[in-house]
Amino acid sequence: MITEWILDTLIRALAVGTPLLWAALGEIYAERSGVINLGVEGMMILGAFFAFAVAHTSGNPALGLLVAGVVGGASALLHAFLSVTLRANQYVSGLALAMFGLGLAGVLGRGWEGIPLLNTLPEISGLTYLGVVLAVVLWFVLYHTRLGLVIRSTGEAPAAADALGVNVARVRYLAVVFGGILAGIAGGFFSVAYRPSWTEGMTGGTGWIAIAIVIFAGWDPLRAVWGALLFGALYYLSFRLQTWIAPEALRMLPFAFTIVALAATSRRRRGEGAPEALGLPYASGEK
Amino acid sequence: MRWLTLAAVLILVGSLAVTGGAQQKLKAGFIYVGPIGDYGWTHAHDQGRKIAEKMVSGLETLYVESVPEAQAEPFIDKLIQQGARVIFTTSFGFMDGTLAAAKRYPNQIFAHASGFKRAPNMATYMADFYQVYYLNGLMAGALTKSNKVGYVGAFPIPEVKRHIGAFALGVRAVNPRATVHVRWIFEWFKPSAAKEATEALIAEGVDVFAFTEDSPTVVQVAAKRGLPSFSHYSPMQKFAPNHVVSGQLVHWEKIYVDFLSKVVAGKYTTENLQNVDYWWLLAEGAVEVGGDFGVPVSPAWKSKLQAVQVTTLDLGRLSVHDLVMKRLAQMTDPKVTFDPFTGPIRDRKGKLVVPAGKRMTVGELNTMEWAAPGIVGPWPKEP
Amino acid sequence: MRRLGPWQIDRDPAPRGWWVLVVSLGAIASAFLAAGALFWAFGIGPARAYSTIFLGTLGDARAAPEVLRQAIPLLLCGVGLVMAFRAQFWNIGAEGQLLAGAVAAAGVALFAPLPAPLVVPAMFAAGFAAGALWGLLPTLLRLKLDVNEVLSTLMMNYIALFFVEWLIHGPWKGQEQRGFAYTDTLPPAAWLPLLPGTRVHWVTLALGLALAGGLAFLLARTKLGFEIRVLGQNPTASRYAGINPLRTTLVAMLISAGAAGLAGVGEVAGIHHRLLAPDQISLGYGYAAIIVAWLARGSPLAAVLTALFLGLIFSSGDVMKVTLQMPFRVTDIFNGLILFFLIGSERLLTYRLRRVPRPAPHATAVSPGPERQTGAGIPEETGVAESK
Repeated sequence: MITEWILDTLIRALAVGTPLLWAALGEIYAERSGVINLGVEGMMILGAFFAFAVAHTSGNPALGLLVAGVVGGASALLHAFLSVTLRANQYVSGLALAMFGLGLAGVLGRGWEGIPLLNTLPEISGLTYLGVVLAVVLWFVLYHTRLGLVIRSTGEAPAAADALGVNVARVRYLAVVFGGILAGIAGGFFSVAYRPSWTEGMTGGTGWIAIAIVIFAGWDPLRAVWGALLFGALYYLSFRLQTWIAPEALRMLPFAFTIVALAATSRRRRGEGAPEALGLPYASGEK
Repeated sequence: MRWLTLAAVLILVGSLAVTGGAQQKLKAGFIYVGPIGDYGWTHAHDQGRKIAEKMVSGLETLYVESVPEAQAEPFIDKLIQQGARVIFTTSFGFMDGTLAAAKRYPNQIFAHASGFKRAPNMATYMADFYQVYYLNGLMAGALTKSNKVGYVGAFPIPEVKRHIGAFALGVRAVNPRATVHVRWIFEWFKPSAAKEATEALIAEGVDVFAFTEDSPTVVQVAAKRGLPSFSHYSPMQKFAPNHVVSGQLVHWEKIYVDFLSKVVAGKYTTENLQNVDYWWLLAEGAVEVGGDFGVPVSPAWKSKLQAVQVTTLDLGRLSVHDLVMKRLAQMTDPKVTFDPFTGPIRDRKGKLVVPAGKRMTVGELNTMEWAAPGIVGPWPKEP
Repeated sequence: MRRLGPWQIDRDPAPRGWWVLVVSLGAIASAFLAAGALFWAFGIGPARAYSTIFLGTLGDARAAPEVLRQAIPLLLCGVGLVMAFRAQFWNIGAEGQLLAGAVAAAGVALFAPLPAPLVVPAMFAAGFAAGALWGLLPTLLRLKLDVNEVLSTLMMNYIALFFVEWLIHGPWKGQEQRGFAYTDTLPPAAWLPLLPGTRVHWVTLALGLALAGGLAFLLARTKLGFEIRVLGQNPTASRYAGINPLRTTLVAMLISAGAAGLAGVGEVAGIHHRLLAPDQISLGYGYAAIIVAWLARGSPLAAVLTALFLGLIFSSGDVMKVTLQMPFRVTDIFNGLILFFLIGSERLLTYRLRRVPRPAPHATAVSPGPERQTGAGIPEETGVAESK
């Protein structure tokens, strides 16, 4: 009985957590490089639509995911251009991207609702396991390679990185676009695997939760796995435990948790908190 | 100055000509609460609007989607400026705004779906599913092997409670040992919530599903586990052809066409709508049983339903499939010779809620809070 | 430093008001041009689209007050955020603070046994207090534990959202709403009066304007305002100036969060007359107010203009939906485009165009002006987000 409960919850946590993890991993890299992208929801919904449209037209859901990644990356490019090249306010740019993505996907998606998808991907699929593997790889790259050092340094001390010959703008561009690719794939997961069909607004705020997970995880890819699993498990349990506990209380929990985690980790600053230069545009020597 | 005067006269004549032409046409405006792309409530109203536009000659329609509740009045203003003479508002939350607008625009006609406040120029209308849910319940009761039937509910409001109640009465009519397990998602449209609620029910051993949510999520999740389900609101059989048994379908156009034709004919005016309340069911053709139009029972499940025999008081011993067809015929008959909410009915606590021989009135159905026997799970505001 | 004929473009550390206005209007015009393609795609001529939008918002006696009505919560939240941003406190939590104010207002109206004339003042007081309280935790966490406030205020938004959900589905669910998730309707004593013929709850509007004026005065003329300005411009210097950063940030933030709480009171008491689903109480006003405050560039009085501008954008979307019969998501594309162009143009603000005496012909390669070293990258660090 107990093992069944744990097993059920774990499986659902994996399924719900998959898109959360992918989107959060991408956002971690973007934020580690110093660029916060609040447009995750917009990139995800674009990914969801394009993945569905391509999967339906071509009959190949994997191709759909690929295109979703490309679309997510392309939309992130817009954010990168505004926040890195034009050094615009990252928060506003991200909000604008969220709006723009939801708008574009909604308008393009007209008439695609109510169409079943014949070839779908299994829900707990390669994407789930790949997500965990990706987390490990991204963790290793971030903390144990030169590339990771470069990314972290652009987020913590861009001027110092610049002085050491790092092209801050290029690193940030790549990190933001990488984040967009993962967000696009995360969105695609919804429309070809989690619930194979297209419906307006189907990502339902997952992008915002992913941003919360980034914080919860303290910008650490490995901890993002636990964050995604916890959010996923609590989401599932809010229905499973409905007879005994108000669902709102359970769903509020991760957010309250995040604040507690923030408070608990803030004292030991080093590498635990937000990147020092997060949200701050960097003007390098020239231009 | 002369050219200015001339221009003014031309504009005046031109606008008169335009309004003169417009009087031939009847413009109706629709205010939706959700996006048309939801494949549920709003999608169905929009289908009704499009069909009505084709069927009522001289009708022209306007619509606005995803209107926040507080915004009903300003949108009504705008639709009326566009020349709309009839306004349909399609959500309970628009009730007070619609009523206020009806008072401000005594020369326009209003109709509000799912509410209970009316005015001389404001009617109410609803196409309700409870009879259809009863028929679905009969099938679900015959198909469950675990004797656990699941229902994913949107909000614990009388409308949904009534539907679950009718569904449970149907389940118990063929399978007195079965229970109906309910999970609320507190949203009308939230695929991820519907999905995880379904998964939670599956974990509890439920093996047949019905639901109230505006997407085919529950159908898809159940099908993936090979479990049967009943589609909701839109034709969802195509999302799981081998697993959708039946479902509920709506024909809002029946109400829209009837209402607008009567407006055109001058039967409905801005003075005689105080008591106009459409409460349309199977007999009026406003709702239909099935997972797709014209398919009351999926061919994939017909033989399974024919294999289960039940004994009823009025029809004797027969298969569940035949029982469904008989009950459907009784409720489609204009005289409505059968209704699920006919007493004696006790609630799940054993209290007699509908006395023997009595049928629940529309008013009672609209305020129904009790839980039918066999329902398991939280039931907010249970008397 | 580039020359264009007799003109020279160079860096401007402190852009002047008219230049900000010119660039911003230019950006909006460009966004309109870009959005023209969108209208075209729907078979609507851009010229017709814009004239329709104009006539349906400002050029219409019933619609124009709606612009004002939508601007009220944007103004209150926006002015508050200006205050917080000036003190270098990045409050993203106006949405949650607004909801807290709405809850307090509904609670007072439904449950406090007060004589009728006291109900509305009590609601506003409670709403301000509740909003401030909601902002207090992130402020204390930032001041005592150095917790990033962008993140904690964002989290507080979700907690407020689920709290409202729980109230309307649980303990506060109304008896008279047929089981729908609302509280009961507030007693009429709790309803704010409206400007005749409109739906503008003028009490809240007046509060917003007074707050904008008051805070402008506070920033410009008082000791506290001076402290906030110094703290915002140079936290290190403020310490030497004997300013208590804890107290100053706390006061600025309480005003900020309290103002958002007032916006919540206005929405509940002026529009809805009950507590309802959080996404219906606020149509994202708390988030849109970030844009209001950002566009206002630190000036509470400018926030009046920018709040009106955003109210206009909101209303334009309504016209697109109804009059032009476009899908509702078009408004998101439109708003996104406007924002993209506005923030994209921000860079232009740090340049200025100066007329300088023309040197010898064809001598453009050698610039006569005092060539500033472009390396430092300091002069342009003027945007709000850049000086942290």
